[in-house]
Amino acid sequence: MKKKCITLIFGIQKIRELKILRKMKIVLFLIAVSVTQALAVDSYAQTTKLNLSVKNGKIVEILDEIENQSDFFFMYDATVINVDQKRSVNCENKTVTKILDDLFQNTGITYKIEDRLIALTSQGKKGTVTNFLQQQKNVSGKVTDSSGVPIPGVTVVIKGTTKGIITDSEGNYSLSGISSNATLLFSFVGMKTQEIRTNGESAINVKMEEENIGIEEVIAIGYGTMKKSDLTGSVQQVDAEKFKLQSTTQITEMLNGTIAGFNSNQGTSAQGGSSSMELRGPTSLTANTTPLVVVDGAIFTGSLRDVNPYDVKTIDILKDASSAAVYGAKAASGVIIITTKKGNTGGPIINVSTKVGVAESNNKRKGLGPDEYIQYRQDYLRQIHPELAYDYYSSPDNLNNFSLEEWRNLTASTLTDNKKEWLRRMGFFDIEVNNYLAGKTTDWYDEVFRKGLRQEYNTSISGGTDVVKYYWSLGHNNNKGIRLGDKYSSVHSRLNLDVKVTDWLNIGLNTQFSDENKSGVPASLNFYANSPYGQMFDEDGNLERLPHGHTDNPLLDYYRISDYDKGENLFADMHATIKFPLGIKFKTSFQPRYSNSKYYSYTTISKELGGIETSEQPIGSRNDSSVKNWMMDNILTWKKSIGIHNFDVTLLANYEKNQSWASYQSNQNFSPNQELSYHGLQYGDSPVVKDTDTKSSGNAYMGRVNYTLKDRYLVTASVRRDGFSAFGKNNKTAVFPAFALGWVVSEEDFFDISFLDRMKVRLSWGINGNRDIGIYSALATTGSDLWYNGSSTQVGVYSSSLLNDNLRWEKTAAYNVGFDLALLDNKIEFSADVYQMNTTDLLMSRSLPEVTGFESIMSNLGELRNRGLEINLNTVNINNQNFSWNTNLVFSFNRNKIISLFGDYSTYTLRGEECTSDVPDFTNGWFPGQSIDVVWDYNVCGIWQSDEAAEAAVYGLEPGDFKAEEVVKDGVYTDTDDKQFIGNTKPRYHLGLRNDFTFLKNFTASVFIRADLGHIKSYSAALNNGYESDDRCSRNKGPVPYWTSDKPNYEYARLNPTLSSFGGGLMIYKHCSFVRIQDFSLAYSLPSSLTQRLKAKNIQIYGSVRNLATFTDWPGWDPESGMTPMPRTYTFGLNFSIQ
Amino acid sequence: MKKINLLILVLFFPLFFSCSEDEWLKTEPLSFFTPEDVFVDEAGFESGLVVCRKEMNAENHGYFPNSNYIATEYAYTDLAVALRQSDFNKNTPSYSYRQTTLTLFLNGYGYIKNANTVISKIDDIEWDDKTIRNRILSEALWFRAYWYYRLVNAYGDIPWVGGLLTDVKLDYKSTTRWAILEQLQKDLEYAVEWLPDNAANTGDITKGAANHLLTKVYLAECDFDKAIEAATAAINGHPLMKARFGEDMTNNYHNLLWDLHRVNNKNISSNTETIYATVDRTDASPETWFNAVGTYSMRIYTPSYWKVQDSEGQRACNWSTPAGDTLGIGNGDIRPNYFANYELWNDETYTWETTPDMRRSDSNWIEMGKSISEIITDREGSPNNGEPLNKKYYGSLADTVDTWYSWPHYKTYVPTEHYRTPQGGQGDWYIFRSAGTYLLRAEAYFYKGQLAEAAADINKVRERSNAPLIDASDVTLDYIFDERARELYTESPRHSEMVRVSYILAKLGSDGYSLQNISESNWYYDRVIKYNSYYRDGYTFWGNTASLSPSNMLWPVPQSAITANTLGRINQNIGYEGSEYNEAPLETIPDPGYTN
Repeated sequence: MKKKCITLIFGIQKIRELKILRKMKIVLFLIAVSVTQALAVDSYAQTTKLNLSVKNGKIVEILDEIENQSDFFFMYDATVINVDQKRSVNCENKTVTKILDDLFQNTGITYKIEDRLIALTSQGKKGTVTNFLQQQKNVSGKVTDSSGVPIPGVTVVIKGTTKGIITDSEGNYSLSGISSNATLLFSFVGMKTQEIRTNGESAINVKMEEENIGIEEVIAIGYGTMKKSDLTGSVQQVDAEKFKLQSTTQITEMLNGTIAGFNSNQGTSAQGGSSSMELRGPTSLTANTTPLVVVDGAIFTGSLRDVNPYDVKTIDILKDASSAAVYGAKAASGVIIITTKKGNTGGPIINVSTKVGVAESNNKRKGLGPDEYIQYRQDYLRQIHPELAYDYYSSPDNLNNFSLEEWRNLTASTLTDNKKEWLRRMGFFDIEVNNYLAGKTTDWYDEVFRKGLRQEYNTSISGGTDVVKYYWSLGHNNNKGIRLGDKYSSVHSRLNLDVKVTDWLNIGLNTQFSDENKSGVPASLNFYANSPYGQMFDEDGNLERLPHGHTDNPLLDYYRISDYDKGENLFADMHATIKFPLGIKFKTSFQPRYSNSKYYSYTTISKELGGIETSEQPIGSRNDSSVKNWMMDNILTWKKSIGIHNFDVTLLANYEKNQSWASYQSNQNFSPNQELSYHGLQYGDSPVVKDTDTKSSGNAYMGRVNYTLKDRYLVTASVRRDGFSAFGKNNKTAVFPAFALGWVVSEEDFFDISFLDRMKVRLSWGINGNRDIGIYSALATTGSDLWYNGSSTQVGVYSSSLLNDNLRWEKTAAYNVGFDLALLDNKIEFSADVYQMNTTDLLMSRSLPEVTGFESIMSNLGELRNRGLEINLNTVNINNQNFSWNTNLVFSFNRNKIISLFGDYSTYTLRGEECTSDVPDFTNGWFPGQSIDVVWDYNVCGIWQSDEAAEAAVYGLEPGDFKAEEVVKDGVYTDTDDKQFIGNTKPRYHLGLRNDFTFLKNFTASVFIRADLGHIKSYSAALNNGYESDDRCSRNKGPVPYWTSDKPNYEYARLNPTLSSFGGGLMIYKHCSFVRIQDFSLAYSLPSSLTQRLKAKNIQIYGSVRNLATFTDWPGWDPESGMTPMPRTYTFGLNFSIQ
Repeated sequence: MKKINLLILVLFFPLFFSCSEDEWLKTEPLSFFTPEDVFVDEAGFESGLVVCRKEMNAENHGYFPNSNYIATEYAYTDLAVALRQSDFNKNTPSYSYRQTTLTLFLNGYGYIKNANTVISKIDDIEWDDKTIRNRILSEALWFRAYWYYRLVNAYGDIPWVGGLLTDVKLDYKSTTRWAILEQLQKDLEYAVEWLPDNAANTGDITKGAANHLLTKVYLAECDFDKAIEAATAAINGHPLMKARFGEDMTNNYHNLLWDLHRVNNKNISSNTETIYATVDRTDASPETWFNAVGTYSMRIYTPSYWKVQDSEGQRACNWSTPAGDTLGIGNGDIRPNYFANYELWNDETYTWETTPDMRRSDSNWIEMGKSISEIITDREGSPNNGEPLNKKYYGSLADTVDTWYSWPHYKTYVPTEHYRTPQGGQGDWYIFRSAGTYLLRAEAYFYKGQLAEAAADINKVRERSNAPLIDASDVTLDYIFDERARELYTESPRHSEMVRVSYILAKLGSDGYSLQNISESNWYYDRVIKYNSYYRDGYTFWGNTASLSPSNMLWPVPQSAITANTLGRINQNIGYEGSEYNEAPLETIPDPGYTN
């Protein structure tokens, strides 16, 4: 960008600021305005002598040459002044006035000099100069950001004209000669453009709001940042601001459904969070496929729970291989880069956020009630004792065929009470009989569940000077889960410091501390087994061990186990950056992480707590573990623009070491009493000690070049070499290259589509690794076992795994093609990515025939492919002063396929057909040509009905048993013949739809709808069997329908059905697609008049609901969590900030 | 500025951070041994044997289906049925409800692997004293032979794995039972030579144990002379117990047989009859136990008498009462039949009630009569308090099949000190004792037609229990197995022994049996059907109809092992799904895994 392009004209006193701004080379500042005041010749013009020699050059080039030789600076209105006229100048040691007089001869151009400024005007055309001179009114004011910090360099333009100005370093601006009905436009990079009518006012202060959608968005790309417009890969950013109205205990809660291709399940316990994380698709069969997490540029190996969502500013997700490849061996599953909040100059600003929420299960899944329970016991007993008369189990009040006397005569019982005789036949226990006769029942659901409570308090202080900038936060969570005993609390603190030591040296510290308490033993979800005629406590107030005479009390462990489950985590990134000449920077950082955790547990045995003192032993244990990891990065960067070429080069050397120590001790049978709990394990008689320490180390070297040509041709290339101690000694290191191209089509001269603001095509390729296989997988290991031989304790050692010196990295090579569009003044932004990822050298636990004595060996075999599509659509549907509506739609799907497994070609039978190909792994359910999550099982097509007894008998089945489709019709259910591919367990399509509204100035609302579609999940409860199914008559069962000849159905089997006829076993699957209104929030910001009176900057109150409504066919607790209850949380919150 | 220079020096230092990359990336195990670190001296190899010794407890400890194999052995014999799986059709190659027909195979090869670890590595080091090497090798060979003997008599032809796996191998083939037996014979002959006469420590394998096992192997190979020779060697070192001994010896309510089966008496030095018994002690640290639940003997073998109701419909005698601690919390998993409990004990002169045989004495059995049990109602508030349990209050036979049968309490009673439910705690258990060796030798004499010698051996065992003696003319194979039932219930793997006999008769061509059609006609099946009315009559309870075919003599080979062996064929036994794909088994042992 050349000086001559800048034709801003304004007050003389602004020149210095202007020069600074020009150095920033920001395109948005290219605005033409007119001369505002008459200029006088200055002495500089008379003392400065210039040498010029231009033949037939454009005026503009000559002006340029003058600027280069001097401090002079030209300003003109390019619409009026024709600077493309060609002239020749040849002079030596002349003053500028002499040269200009010569130059402008016969051009109609006149000039005026004020100090170093030379303003050009046209004699013939009036242009804006004259108009402007006629105006008289002045407007001035201050522009600040949302936190009140002044913003220099904001462009202020009078709407409908080209006239404007730029704010100074204090954020002040001043415009003169403005008509009283004019509108001012305030614009700045990364901020929303504001329109304000002057209405005759002479002082207008403006608060700019941040805008995250925009081509100048800065994206973290790993070991650096990049303008979004320069991206070549597939990177998506999440603004944490959007989630501040929701109860978020963990960061993943922000990503689910928001990021195309990111999948995780909501956590159900008080801890919140997610049960899993996955980007794009599983790139491994056995190794961990959780994305790599990077916090403020440092790889973070701790739990995401350690990062307080409150501290998060943005999250960038690197999805494609080339973006992630800078992390090489750790990046095959993608990268999540978290950027935390930083301090800005000014302040201090104090922010406070408070959230209180109430939670309940979104599905009240109760066991059988009293009447259902009796019916079920009758049904079950009649089924297993068909030899007995139907009325044998009928209530004496409700006999079908028998008289009461006949009914009595069915047994020789001497019980006088008919009711008691009936209950005896039904196998009721004492407790049940008594409670039945007394009309007392227990609802076990109500005993186990309660209203959960979520509390979240956060505060932060931030600010800074030119030398030091700081951000410090403190947060506290205190959650009670919806199940009795489920609780979680934590304290988080973060301190981000940046110190500018000298012009060339910056040092900084990003550190976070967390302390969490997970103590608490949740009530058992296995409460279904208890009879409604059971009771929680006996008449003496002791906990009933067997509440109805059979099956443990669901609250047994809740009452008798006391535990202490706490951990502290400290993570710091200490860094220094040195600037060298020529755009070279060196950054070194050291990132230690310390983690300590204690899990102590004590089981008290006492009659009061349901214990059997004569035979049960109290047991106590202590788990102490600590982790010390460190990583060191040395990064050299070079950024340089040479004409139309932009270079950004990054070189990295990295070392890491990870160590962990875990000690376990336990003891039993304490004397003289149990008072000391886990604090005095030495008082027991059976001490056990176990230690598990681990150590691993790695290194990495990486180089990356980002090259941009004319802002429209973008190239990224990188290569990384990784080493890791876990691999076989023949394969300790690996190299991971990547390459990407981008083309901003809309920057091309030929591109001329008025409604299209931007169009870009991206293409990338790269290879990444997965090293997450367990630190010692390559080694032959032994297990140990103690044995007492009658006189002393002996240590036994056995071989537990096989050696594999060749164990190496899984490699995922991936292509990504992306397409970005912005249209209608950026009101619609669309981006789509298509990818294919091929993982080879899959780390597989290869099943071995059991005759080897080993189950498996870790090997690199096979190939896996993932393909998918991701679409992201942002639209600004309505944007008025009083109402705005934005929509974000995210859609993605991934299809994976096992290309090959072990490479053992052989003949086998599948779906009744002889196949000769790569042999499937039947044990793990992996089939070449199918996806990993494919379900291979019998296609259950109903239940054998009473009139089908003869057909069922062919299979050794009876009416009420499952009826499955047979592929090979031979009257036998054989797995290799008759099992089919009946569906997938992972969602086939993911959809997220977010709508944000602002209305009535101070209200905002948002609705987030999420859908996972097309998958099935195993539902073992539908089998209606059980480990002790024959004992069923003495337990309750869950709310699962069952078949009887009186009440047949076509979906659920009879109680205790025959399953052994199904070769290879049978599992029942149910559809678990769902659509849910996952988040709804409504917020109100107090008007500034009110907040100012309260001496606050900003006050906002809001309410939100998570999991408001779910639409699904899934018969279990929740389609997302499967067989655990999902909480619905109502949150109320308050945010305020003061300065 | 000087300070800053220093700072830069410190910051740049890591750049020059260097040590050899190989060193930096070395895998360093910290809390476990690699085999290279363990098998380096006598102590290391001993630690390998410790695992083998402990694993012997799997025979008689724990829940179904992962262990307690001997209990399952009884479920499919002439004496009993498996309460929950009396229908053998439901024991398929891929599914077996609560029984060990699959897990004996799967786990058995794990035990073989642990013995093979010692065998394969024995010459990885230089031994200064070869006798130590040979003793260690011999003991490992014994464990391997023990489990192979069990497997070939449950599954017939199976793959031979002669050493520790060092690389992926997926092309196993079945080897004939005969070839494996021949190798076991060689291994055990070597072991007899090098094992000590007396164990240095309880649980070590001795010459006697090798001779007893060798007796079985010789018998199986129809080498009866050598069987007699080996049995005689074992018997000579282990005279039968004939006088009261050990704990409880002064308790006059009990007798010698009670003493013989107390868990604390099995491995004491005064018990000369023990040839080999497993070791598992409740007073040792729980970490040393074979598993948490113990022998489980008071759950598997005993009835759920505690479900029996009194006249008010409540449990008359709950397991949580003091009596329950002694009787256990039976589950009736192995349900003996009328033959086992009564007919077996009748003879010309006595009935089960009057027999002087101490093995059926009142003090040793809990009797459940036709309608009345000797267990006393003791529920608080019961109108029947003090009365014996009475079946008439309880209901139909379908209700009582698991709750109402007599049992040899003297064998099943194991105090349960560390568990809420009295299910049979940790305890030692017989693997071999000389009473069993006598009966093996009697069997060898029988095949040779030396019935007098056979009768003499049987009488040694009967005499000790005060049972009437028999004549040579009374000796039949059935009688020998009757005697085994009386003497060795809960101890010897009865199904396996019956399979062994079936092969002997088939090989000898006796009684019309032959090897060609052994899956269609065999002595095992015929004897089971002859004595076990449940299988004979197809008795139905708990939704199962008792059913057994001749081909069920051999159990199904687990489908998972066949499937995972993708490059070779492990044969399935005839009568089970998949046997049509069988290939001819190997007839020789590819590799014994060691050199003498």
